[in-house]
Amino acid sequence: MRKTVKGRWRLAVALGVAATLGISGCSLNEDTGSSTTSTDGSVLRIGTTTDVSNFNPLQSLSKTDSWILNAMYPHLLRIDENAKKAPELAKEYRYEDGGKTAVFVLRDDFTWTDGKPVVADDVKFSAEMIMKYKLGNVAAKLTWVESIEAPDATTVKFKLSQPYAPFAEGVGFWMSIVPKHVFESAGDLSKFPNDSNWVGAGPFVLDSITKGQRYVMKRNPNYPLAPGGKAAVSQVEYRVYPDVNTMMLALRNGDIDLMGTPVPVSAVKTFQADSNIKLVKVGALGFAHLTYNMKNKQLADQQVRQALSMSVDTKSIISSVLQGDGQQMAGPISPIFSEYDNTEIQPYPFDPAGAKAKLSAAGYKDANNDGFFDELAFGVACDQSNANITRVVQLFRESAAKAGIKLENECVERNTFLSRTKNGEYDIDASQWGVFDNPMDQLRSTYLSSNPGGINYNLLESPEMDHLINDAAATTDPEAFKAKIKNIDKVVHDQAYLTPLYVENFQFAYNASKFTGFVPSPSDLLGMVTAYSLAQVTPAK
Amino acid sequence: MSAPVLTEQAVPPVAPAVARRSWFAYLRQPSAALSVLVLVVMVALALLAPVIADEPAGAGPDVLQPPSGAHWFGTDDLGQDIFAQVVWGTRTSLVIGLAASLIAIVLGTAIGLASAYFRPIDAVATVVTDVMLALPTLPLMIMLAAVVNPSLWTLTLIIGFFAWPEVARLIRSQGLVISAMPYIDGARVLGASGWRIVTREILPAVVSLVIVSVLLTASRAVISEAGLSFLGLGDPDAWSWGRILLNAQRSGVVAIAWWQTLFPSLAILLLVLAATVAGMRFNDTRDPRRNGA
Repeated sequence: MRKTVKGRWRLAVALGVAATLGISGCSLNEDTGSSTTSTDGSVLRIGTTTDVSNFNPLQSLSKTDSWILNAMYPHLLRIDENAKKAPELAKEYRYEDGGKTAVFVLRDDFTWTDGKPVVADDVKFSAEMIMKYKLGNVAAKLTWVESIEAPDATTVKFKLSQPYAPFAEGVGFWMSIVPKHVFESAGDLSKFPNDSNWVGAGPFVLDSITKGQRYVMKRNPNYPLAPGGKAAVSQVEYRVYPDVNTMMLALRNGDIDLMGTPVPVSAVKTFQADSNIKLVKVGALGFAHLTYNMKNKQLADQQVRQALSMSVDTKSIISSVLQGDGQQMAGPISPIFSEYDNTEIQPYPFDPAGAKAKLSAAGYKDANNDGFFDELAFGVACDQSNANITRVVQLFRESAAKAGIKLENECVERNTFLSRTKNGEYDIDASQWGVFDNPMDQLRSTYLSSNPGGINYNLLESPEMDHLINDAAATTDPEAFKAKIKNIDKVVHDQAYLTPLYVENFQFAYNASKFTGFVPSPSDLLGMVTAYSLAQVTPAK
Repeated sequence: MSAPVLTEQAVPPVAPAVARRSWFAYLRQPSAALSVLVLVVMVALALLAPVIADEPAGAGPDVLQPPSGAHWFGTDDLGQDIFAQVVWGTRTSLVIGLAASLIAIVLGTAIGLASAYFRPIDAVATVVTDVMLALPTLPLMIMLAAVVNPSLWTLTLIIGFFAWPEVARLIRSQGLVISAMPYIDGARVLGASGWRIVTREILPAVVSLVIVSVLLTASRAVISEAGLSFLGLGDPDAWSWGRILLNAQRSGVVAIAWWQTLFPSLAILLLVLAATVAGMRFNDTRDPRRNGA
């Protein structure tokens, strides 16, 4: 009896001490559990804003999902610092049979964490499951696949119904390779949660999760792309900070070592005084844009779309909203694809008066003399949690008013915005495309009337565009292919299906006194936290 | 209910002469005078916003400047003046606060009086009021605001609709006391209709409570509006104090631009405090126990 009372006291004291330590140690992250591991130099703690919502790497993924899953499941190719494809699981790829067969040659030294080697059958299985259950955005990229062969452990052959130039790049970069011997027994992979007992072949594999707080990943003892055959960091911990302000303070306080999400450009000053914190700048693989719903009677008029394009002051948006840290665009092809970007076309000049004259000439009237054309009133839909885009919409609304076009700011809560986008319930869509890994896939998913990628926000159904795109897709000669892409770039610009706003740079902040060696890739989706980058990180000193 | 006693005085409890004197007594209290002054200043700011400051628009070169002579409250990450935003925000906050509280007062008073006088209505209305009071209002408001298109009107309706039960309960309890008074029985004996008794006899007796409720409900509505706007559910075209806070939070400058969060927060605090103190003091002056009347 006495002993229990004493024991209880001891427990209470211990809890009290632990709580105090925890509160002083990591006051910003509510969990106080691992104050001991936090001081271990080889635990890399990364801040993220959201929880993982889906652990199945074959399905569509949010940002945090793909960060964590890409560190576990290898891809055939990766995108390197210069936005070029680089080998990952595949050593190389080539086309045979006049472009109708894509052949990947795999490395032989990747192994799953349960000891089995990563073989060609795993790749075949992953692709076949995606095709069978139509999983994620990769399903659209496998459209042309007629059959897949794995003649030996390191060779995979995709037989295509027609040549498609960027096939290997698109599939190689986007498709996660999963262990056949584990996923096979799961049955219907569209319903497989994959939320425990993870088996991976990336540099780190999930070990434990505490929803809303942390995702702990243990090192894979065998990762051939890391300098020493395994990552130098023994553990990676993702910590959830829903608010970016809190995350920045956590980095300054040493509660995390790297912010997975980029630092907002307005907040860069936060780290100016801190010599330990370094900022790394990367480019983007997508861009911000205003896309016009072609189902709207007025927006279906090319003159109106051109006038709207002339009412957006992209230069001033870049200098104010992005503090100058971005690039202007003309057509839909980002300058990052320099071989395909049509440099002959120029962005529409910012000229509200000219836009007004153009609309008057096209027959639009302001009968009630309120300064706005009577028929031209549009809603601009956007996700209100995107700081930059909401600012853009605010400025766009003001400048379009000068051109006599009445815009209503319809920036709404994120989920409402997503469902409206999905259902086509908007006039003008202001948003940001995250990652396009090649221009052909981009044009297919944004302008084909069959809408294979689900992001034809124009809801465009144009036989001419379909023809141009399909014609380019089947072109195997590289020069002719480039010329056709450049032509589409020009057509889209003339039609003003969209007004590209900017290609922004992203800045990532990390604590350089604790870790070095990150290999950043462009875009906020890849950034500092690709599997390759995490495998190269070493503790400082 | 006892039979009417005709010898008892059947006059409403508040005489007009007393009212004027109590207004004077009310404003003689420093806290009441001060809070009324703050409210008057706020209303003036809202009405004269276009004269005081240009509507914040465009983007300027002075980004994230601390308070100075040129920008009293500093600037935000687009270079817009925070002072102008706060002044224009006063409009939105006051309009939503007053309109929402009017909705709540009209609904609440009607339901409260009806259930105080008409017994059959009471049973239903009390249950509905209790259910409404038990609902978690904030999550519901968030859900509703996320579904409808955010605008001043929808926000006002949503906030007003969720604020009436408190008023209804307050008015009902006071109404019950009044309707048991002998002069009501007197009116009924004289043949007055239920409608007349409620509107002419009971309503004037609870009017002071209604005024207090207007102030308190309005201050709650201002907080709700700021909260919803901060969560990004406000009208994206209208400046509001909550939206200034949201801008600061969204662009990650909370830690480096204290002025962008401090001044709108102070404005919210001042308005809510002033409305609450004004309401409480008003309630005190009407309290017979305090006046000894």
